[in-house]
Amino acid sequence: MPFRKILIANRGEIACRIMRTLSAMGIASVAIHHRLEAAARHVTMADEALEITGETPVEAHLDIAQIVALARSVGADAIHPGYGFLSENAAFAAAVTAAGLTFIGPDARTIALMGDKVSAREFARANNVAVAPSVMASDDLGDFVTRASAIGFPLLIKAAAGGGGKGMSIVRSASDLEAAVRRASGEAERYFGDGRIYAETYVERPRHIEVQVLGDGEGNVIHLFERECSIQRRFQKIVEEAPAANLPGGLRDEICACAVTLATAARYKNAGTVEFILGGDGRFFFLEMNTRLQVEHPVTEMVTGMDLVRAQIEIAAGLGLPCSQADVPVDGHAIECRVCAEDPERDFLPETGTVRYLSVPRADWLRFESAIAPGHRVTADFDPMLAKLVVHAPDRAEAIDRSIAALDDLSVLGVTTNIDYLARVLGHGAFRDGALHTGFVPDHADALRRPEPGHDERDRLLIAGALGFREFREAAFGLPDLQAAMGGWTN
Amino acid sequence: MAFILDIDGRRHELRILARWPSLIVEIDGRRHRVDGTPGEGDGAGCVRIDGAVLSFARVSTGSSQIVRLPGTTSTVHLVDPRAAASSALGNDDIRAPMPGAVVAVSRQAGEAVLRGETVLTIESMKLQTALAAPRDGVIAEIVRPVGETFGQHDVLARLEPSTESEA
Repeated sequence: MPFRKILIANRGEIACRIMRTLSAMGIASVAIHHRLEAAARHVTMADEALEITGETPVEAHLDIAQIVALARSVGADAIHPGYGFLSENAAFAAAVTAAGLTFIGPDARTIALMGDKVSAREFARANNVAVAPSVMASDDLGDFVTRASAIGFPLLIKAAAGGGGKGMSIVRSASDLEAAVRRASGEAERYFGDGRIYAETYVERPRHIEVQVLGDGEGNVIHLFERECSIQRRFQKIVEEAPAANLPGGLRDEICACAVTLATAARYKNAGTVEFILGGDGRFFFLEMNTRLQVEHPVTEMVTGMDLVRAQIEIAAGLGLPCSQADVPVDGHAIECRVCAEDPERDFLPETGTVRYLSVPRADWLRFESAIAPGHRVTADFDPMLAKLVVHAPDRAEAIDRSIAALDDLSVLGVTTNIDYLARVLGHGAFRDGALHTGFVPDHADALRRPEPGHDERDRLLIAGALGFREFREAAFGLPDLQAAMGGWTN
Repeated sequence: MAFILDIDGRRHELRILARWPSLIVEIDGRRHRVDGTPGEGDGAGCVRIDGAVLSFARVSTGSSQIVRLPGTTSTVHLVDPRAAASSALGNDDIRAPMPGAVVAVSRQAGEAVLRGETVLTIESMKLQTALAAPRDGVIAEIVRPVGETFGQHDVLARLEPSTESEA
């Protein structure tokens, strides 16, 4: 292992998680942090910690020159970018390499290829990986209608210059198409000053299925099977699992093979994830490729028993892939729940506060990835995700039961979280049945709302709460608090 | 002895009926026997209610307790009887639900506004939220103008005190 010291260009739970593997591998870790996070867990865990400066913490974490200079100054051999921040920034990867350090990830060229959604789509299509069929509108409306109809229905009509759902509509039959196109073009012209529109296959109730791949950069690629990430709010995943529920074996093989085809064609190096959308009719389309480690990588680690961060470091060190495709183990089912500081009852509004109490259940089959500890201040500086609760079990039903029990046991008090909401999602009949799609959260909003506590539960809450007030304790036990705390006092 | 406790916005009356041989309380007419005295401090606790063991976690934040039972978390406030007796509070202020910055102001001081109409728009963690007037009234003051940042619960705008009596 040529690396003796690695700088982690990240923070929070992923920095802590990467450090755990570095420690196991006997590699020294270097953490970077903004002044505001000097006491953060990833800082105290690291062998060395360096302060980065910037107007805001996020800006500091995006300062390529500063981070590369710091890494060189402490003699780091490599930089692990984690996820988010600079992990998919081709300029960063290039700067790290130019400085004589190893970037733990793909090369800058691949990052740029997959980072541009249009070039990634074209690359996929050129390599026979299915992309959602689409047709650009031309001046000849009749011709466009013909070509769009040829894709098949339902179709999504979108403004080429658009966004925010404006100029978008779903067309379900040929007879509606022409009118919809005129309307969409008019709307697009009004909102964006550009009436160009295009038609794309509309996948109803799509499932988000992604495949973990590892490549050695020399054309050898293996996959570590798929994950399902359909439970999302605000287009962000909150529950992920491996394997995907109720996926016929042939379809799973096809999707995984597609991912390998794409990564092989790109001569992909290091870890990556190929994302697809899967329709109810079994048709799936390439969405995009993420050229980094993903937040939800633990579910793959738990069903394969593999350490993906270790694999990343070894590939970067030139030691090749961890095993052959045939030797990738897969066992049981894993579910990850993202614990976030937000209020599901108020449309998932991010919340701030201070973690006053933290109690995490423990089990062999449970992983809790976080950087929070009592006293941690949750601010608006960073993403609201606080932690990931990951559970493994022999099958999906038991993984769901274990996850709900673990969520019920988990206490993060002092800031509002989505913990109980996650338990309701997992307990919902549709989730148990595997009837997942990316509209799950809004579709089941009514059923997932926090139920009104019944009398009994409310009384229990009131009594437990009352016992915390000095006034009540004095009235109830007629004692100064010191004696009351001893308990079992008798007159 | 009675205590007024507020949980999730609703008030309940908790009376202590007896202390010996067991603590008996009555909540909204329902009686419960409480045995075992958990420690006063924050953290995990255990108590027996009507013979059944209840494990909970709790932290104190001034005049409230955040209480967690499996699957549910609530905040219990102890209502100060003097405060409860006074007139309805705080319908004159528009407060920030979270820290952020003001990106737009739709009404100025002196302008009339109807309940539900947007008074200002704020941005936090890349989300924009419109803050509406809680009741019909007249804007007394825009406390934080466009571009200013603020913390959670900071007052961003004020209405003139209501001249009509509260319903």
